Amino acid sequence: MTQTLDSPARAGRRTTYTIVDTDIHPVATAASILPRLSAGARRRFETFGSRVPAPPEIYPRVRNSGFRLDSWPESGPPGSDLGLVRDQLLDGFDIDHGVLIPLQGHQWGAEAPEYAAELCRALNDCMAEEWLDAEPRLRGSLVVPYETPDLAVAEIRRHAGDPRFVQVLLATGGESGFGRRRYWPIYEAAVEAGLPIGAHTGGLEQHRGAGWPSFYLEEHVWNGNMMGALITSFLTEGVFAHLPELQLVCVEGGIAWAPALFWALDDGWSLLRDDVPHLTRPPSELLRERLWFTTQPIEEPADPAELATVLRHLGMDDRIMFASDYPHWDFDSPQHTPRLFPAGSREPIMGANACRLYGLPLRGAA
Amino acid sequence: MSAPARTLVVDADVHCAPRSLDDLLAHMDPYWRTYVVEAGIGLSPTQGGAYPARIRPGGEPAHAVDELPVDAAAAVLTCTSTFQSNRNPYYEAALCRAVNDWLLEQWHSRDSRFRVAMVVPTLHVDAAVEEIARIGAHPAVVAVLLPVRNDTRWGTVGNRAVLRAAAEHGLVVTLHAWGRAGNAPNSSGMTHSYLEDYLANSQIVAQGQLTSLVVEGVFAQLPDLRVTVAECGSTWLPTMLWRFDKDWKGTWREVPWLDRPPSEIVREHVRFTTAPIHLPPDPVAAREALDLLDPGMLMHASDHPHDHGDGADRLDAVLTDIERAAITGGTATQWYRL
Repeated sequence: MTQTLDSPARAGRRTTYTIVDTDIHPVATAASILPRLSAGARRRFETFGSRVPAPPEIYPRVRNSGFRLDSWPESGPPGSDLGLVRDQLLDGFDIDHGVLIPLQGHQWGAEAPEYAAELCRALNDCMAEEWLDAEPRLRGSLVVPYETPDLAVAEIRRHAGDPRFVQVLLATGGESGFGRRRYWPIYEAAVEAGLPIGAHTGGLEQHRGAGWPSFYLEEHVWNGNMMGALITSFLTEGVFAHLPELQLVCVEGGIAWAPALFWALDDGWSLLRDDVPHLTRPPSELLRERLWFTTQPIEEPADPAELATVLRHLGMDDRIMFASDYPHWDFDSPQHTPRLFPAGSREPIMGANACRLYGLPLRGAA
Repeated sequence: MSAPARTLVVDADVHCAPRSLDDLLAHMDPYWRTYVVEAGIGLSPTQGGAYPARIRPGGEPAHAVDELPVDAAAAVLTCTSTFQSNRNPYYEAALCRAVNDWLLEQWHSRDSRFRVAMVVPTLHVDAAVEEIARIGAHPAVVAVLLPVRNDTRWGTVGNRAVLRAAAEHGLVVTLHAWGRAGNAPNSSGMTHSYLEDYLANSQIVAQGQLTSLVVEGVFAQLPDLRVTVAECGSTWLPTMLWRFDKDWKGTWREVPWLDRPPSEIVREHVRFTTAPIHLPPDPVAAREALDLLDPGMLMHASDHPHDHGDGADRLDAVLTDIERAAITGGTATQWYRL
């Protein structure tokens, strides 16, 4: 069964402001990946596939495999057909720019070193040639063999200066905290290439502190905690002090939890300065200069004014960027999302903030 | 009831600790005395790195009743010395029995204002249930103390008998910061800094534990169960509940026993201690944060001997008199049935 929305004509633009979707999930099919692998890696992929479990194997997505019911193309999984992404998303909502986040990189980036590097290289090349070249509204996120930083650096350098890619993709869970020094070469290479790091929820979950959740609901509520743990790791291990230009985008972890984390970090820091000598000013000050957030899945209190209060406490409306999470079940539409934010922040959040971070032209300026 | 002349004070989280295992040997049977003495086992003075004595959130807890001046009508003793036990579940059970007897004999018997949050083994559910059966009905025992850092989430079905025993004895379950040193924060594993470890209690593991209790249907099955979240912060709660309610609306099929929004369940069954409380320095913003939380969710704790900084003052500065009276003692009096 295939369902598609009617594609509205692009002639009648519905908004005057720029819309950038900072979290679109494309999928590369095996047919696109296999020809880009060496003979050895191809045999390995065909024989063993990926040994890193994909999240739904641990927490099934309750309905329709976690996808929008209407997002299945004629063949292949949701997100595998550029034509349908154009129709349902880019044309359907009059989107100026979209940032692709291929989640296969979360699994493939943690494979055996050379295998991981080949898979990531193939995925990046597939995205560049089949998606980014074919659709100028799209930009890419570089997937890297993140558990093998030296090979990740090589992959980032291979694409440095390529305007089709606007960030380096990281997961929220790794074999160690991503603030650990062993990962720093990745961030150094990103800075060298002028790219932010985009950390998207997922990767290697270990649940070492309190044990494993039992349900997808429980794991999904946890996404903000995973993002908070990532930020805390970057901060306390000294990544931000080491790389003053590094920008970190928190993708799909929510936003509203951040103020309480900032207060806790500032309180803890003021008591424990000797423990983190590289932190010379309140963590919240530093984080307000380094973090960006994407909107989906935005927290929605019963009273929308409460979200406005929390966003005011956060004070980072100039660093929040719209995201739809297409084609996942909890897709946020560009028509509904602006209403959740204070009137004065809507246009920057829907597009201008992302244009500033990713170096994209505003509507009418191109 | 007219306003009391003097505010009733209940302290919901007061730490004490045996000076060493020597204090507990009298409460162990000969096998465990020999086990302890011959192996040279001791209690970790920092409780596995949770409380280094020379930092403000650490400090040296009182070891005896005359070392702890009490300024409260009732104080709930939380002895977390068992949290960093070795992995032998039978030893952990013996250690918990000894600590509970030590708390009752050396503390409550000498000053009845001290109430006991009894400790139970975390690796041996049957022994935990037996221990609750052994002393849970003692009028001094008001709570069962559980570490937030654990091999399993407390809501999981394998732990249910512990929660059921607590509920059947009318005991509050107190989820308290820290646990085994090996249970470091999720995904990042072991931490290099105390700051990251410290923050993980409030920002990571406590939230996972609370979510677990709700999604597993614990409160649907045990409608009388009350849970105190101690020393894990509280101002993170409202935004977590927004997320929880929204996600539940999308995934309710997975947890059919949840028949109402998670926020309703948490606000009915859970309270938080005030130390630490993380609030912004601006009093207007602090009051807004408190309104989102609801001051009715809070119970005063001195958290002796730990000092978490300015949060308690920021809280006090924005409370009304009625709210202050409730937080200082009224809410805890009802919660612990004092």
